[in-house]
Amino acid sequence: MTVTWQNLADGLALGAIYALMAVGIGLVFGVLRLVNFAYGQLVMAGAFALALASQWGWPLWTGIVLCFAVVLTLSMLMDRLVFRPLRGQSPAVMLVATFAVAFLLENVALLWFGSLGKIATSVTSLNRPWTLSGVEIRKISIVAVIVAAVCLLLLNQLLTRTEIGLHMRASSLDSVTARMLGVRADRVIGVAVLISGALAAIVAVMLTVQTPLVTPDFALRDTIVVLAGVVVGGLNRPIPATLGGFVIGFATGVLGGALPTNQSQYLPALVFAAVILVLLVRPRGLFDFSRTVERV
Amino acid sequence: MFRRVDELGAPALLVIATALLGTLVSVSTQTYFTDTLVKISIVVALYVFIGNSGVLSFGHVSFVALGAWTAGVLSVPAGEKPAIMPGLAHFLLHRHVGNVASLALAALAGGVAALVVGIPLMRLSGLAAGIATFAVLEITYNVLQYEDRIGPGLNTFSSVPETTGLRQGALGALVCVVVAFVYGRSRYGRLLRATREDDAAARAVGVSVYRQRLVAFTLSGLLAGLAGGLYVHLLALNVDSVYLDLTFITLAMLVVGGSSSLLGAVVGALAVSAIDSWLSVAENGTSLFGWHLDLPSGTAEIVVGVLMAVVLILKPSGLTGGRELRLRWRSA
Amino acid sequence: MTLVVEHLDVRYGGVHAVRDLSFTVAPGELVGLIGPNGAGKSSTLHAIMGLAPGTGSVRVDERELLGRRPEEVARSGVALVPEGRRIFAELSVEENLRLGLAARRAHAGVKQVFDGVYEQFPVLHEFRARQAGLLSGGQQQQLAIGRALVAEPEVLLLDEPSLGLAPSVVDVVFAALEAIKERGIAVLLVEQRAQRTVAASDRSHVLGGGELRLTLGPQDAGDTEKLVGAYLS
Repeated sequence: MTVTWQNLADGLALGAIYALMAVGIGLVFGVLRLVNFAYGQLVMAGAFALALASQWGWPLWTGIVLCFAVVLTLSMLMDRLVFRPLRGQSPAVMLVATFAVAFLLENVALLWFGSLGKIATSVTSLNRPWTLSGVEIRKISIVAVIVAAVCLLLLNQLLTRTEIGLHMRASSLDSVTARMLGVRADRVIGVAVLISGALAAIVAVMLTVQTPLVTPDFALRDTIVVLAGVVVGGLNRPIPATLGGFVIGFATGVLGGALPTNQSQYLPALVFAAVILVLLVRPRGLFDFSRTVERV
Repeated sequence: MFRRVDELGAPALLVIATALLGTLVSVSTQTYFTDTLVKISIVVALYVFIGNSGVLSFGHVSFVALGAWTAGVLSVPAGEKPAIMPGLAHFLLHRHVGNVASLALAALAGGVAALVVGIPLMRLSGLAAGIATFAVLEITYNVLQYEDRIGPGLNTFSSVPETTGLRQGALGALVCVVVAFVYGRSRYGRLLRATREDDAAARAVGVSVYRQRLVAFTLSGLLAGLAGGLYVHLLALNVDSVYLDLTFITLAMLVVGGSSSLLGAVVGALAVSAIDSWLSVAENGTSLFGWHLDLPSGTAEIVVGVLMAVVLILKPSGLTGGRELRLRWRSA
Repeated sequence: MTLVVEHLDVRYGGVHAVRDLSFTVAPGELVGLIGPNGAGKSSTLHAIMGLAPGTGSVRVDERELLGRRPEEVARSGVALVPEGRRIFAELSVEENLRLGLAARRAHAGVKQVFDGVYEQFPVLHEFRARQAGLLSGGQQQQLAIGRALVAEPEVLLLDEPSLGLAPSVVDVVFAALEAIKERGIAVLLVEQRAQRTVAASDRSHVLGGGELRLTLGPQDAGDTEKLVGAYLS
């Protein structure tokens, strides 16, 4: 197995993208205690919006605006129609419900676009390579890492320095006491859903640049792998969850590219076996070193 | 336990009624009925674990798959094996068993696999159990995709003798229903349901939650394996037929019918099957009350998905509310 | 603002926790709610705060609070210091206090309010940057009260603030309650330490089996027989 600079760059890019998805999933889990299986479908919807925009001949940036509009709308609809009525149900019911929504949306996409998918041609300009000290690396790999880092930094500032951020952190720790203190549950959830949606839109753009062919199961694979990473890292705490997403993305990206096909085909099985192992041995996650007791 | 035999009546009668109805239609339509009977078997298997324990499992279709693979590999005629399973391990190439034996072995495969998987996993609950069992599904899918020493890998499982007609389907479903009923009425079933209602209280009186869950999981794996055997003798399966789509639709059937009762499992399977089959037919063009309908393909899954989401949101206990139905013999 | 509770009835599933309870707390009054475990004291506070379902009437200044969501009750000027403190262990002391601002209706004067709380509980100022989980039980209790005061409530509810605290710390808590009462806030205190509560309160209601059994005044604090009798009735 030979690891090239491009492999490493790919790993970093995928890790960055998965880290963002992990944050998106983790934010909603924190305030709602709900794992959104359908998160990947938000990304898929955004990717299809980009593909449609390029099919209609729209300029790149208009397409990106459409992508954001579609994802944010869908995200808020999900909250209204699915999350809100399900509040207070058991985690199992919520999991099955979001699974149903994910399945539903995937089939809607199949119906609308067919299984062959569409190509978003407008974004391919970002996929061209740069040459750094003799090594060719695709632009998107660097851009993905930078964008992810900026997003995470901004989010951290929001959470630690603003009032709404404080309210969100408190809600994730103890939602009942937070409400008792006057924190508005609906507003906190709304903001979490909004940010989560924005992150999904960003991920949609970056994934589409990497893989311009958008198919209905576009992000389902990624959601499952990210979820595995988040659980392995530590679902209950934001930093371990993000780290988990990054690590699994990095590992998948590097190994997926560096391993010859006959060895990489069992990669998913190994990843999931590792997930089960972590769930059994360290149920709070590999990176969770906190002392507080949390409910999973 | 036999005082409640009348609760077995409704599910069993529904199975028999379905089979009888199937004899009245054309041969091509009969496949839908037989498919429904196999789905009933799968959903009943799901109910045995999920319904009694309250713990979610996304992984049961793995046991269906293993059952299907076992029955399939052992019943494909020796001459055909190299064609669809070129990489098959040597000791499997020359093994061949009869129909009933293949079903029994399928059930055994499902049961053993469930036991092996259950030993570590039954300690988990809630979200962790959901994710872990999902991982089991993914691992099984991945392995069956590429391991061509034990099956057709990415190829379709054709040439399996098509022995699952209405009679075999109905018998299989009845076996599952009776086993599920006996288990549910037994001490094991009642102990497990106690843990579903109040975990802490059950532990406090000495119930071993882990052991009861393991028993139910293994039994449900056995039934799922049997269902897999029935399935492979009905349709030409491939890895994708025993993966996410099947997981989703069987879970939907259980949820819609009512996950805490045996009747719910059967009713759910029938209701969703009916809708799904009718919509699939409509996708090929049909007429309803004089209107010509030609639904785009994929509508069936969407409708079922919406139905499942709506039931979960509005009535999480399903159509039957988790209750059984007692059929009373009226005295003359 | 006067807190008026009328014919309050609280049921949890099959348990009838509070039966036909009625009492008032006027501004500047400290009213005690005492009684044995399971008497319905906490349930009363939870119902007022919107954390438990109840029927009857709970009003502040003629505004009906019963049936409203907790965050709405908080924003109406009622603050609860819950049993077990329930502070956010992973956030800093200052962040915990800032959370109390969520229920505050006025927007100006935040600095003065914080200064007031720091003056009342100097230890909170000293540890303001420290993680709240590292504070001692007594310090956390002061934080919980301080956090409620930041919202500048007109009605303050406390659920067993002296639970698990050393006598010297209990002194600090009761002294703080006295100061809070002087500021014109209506204080409802649920406690198990009957004698101390009866002595400090303008009047104390004894609950038993969800019902109001007896009302005691500060003069009854030394009468052990009466107290024991009230508890065991």
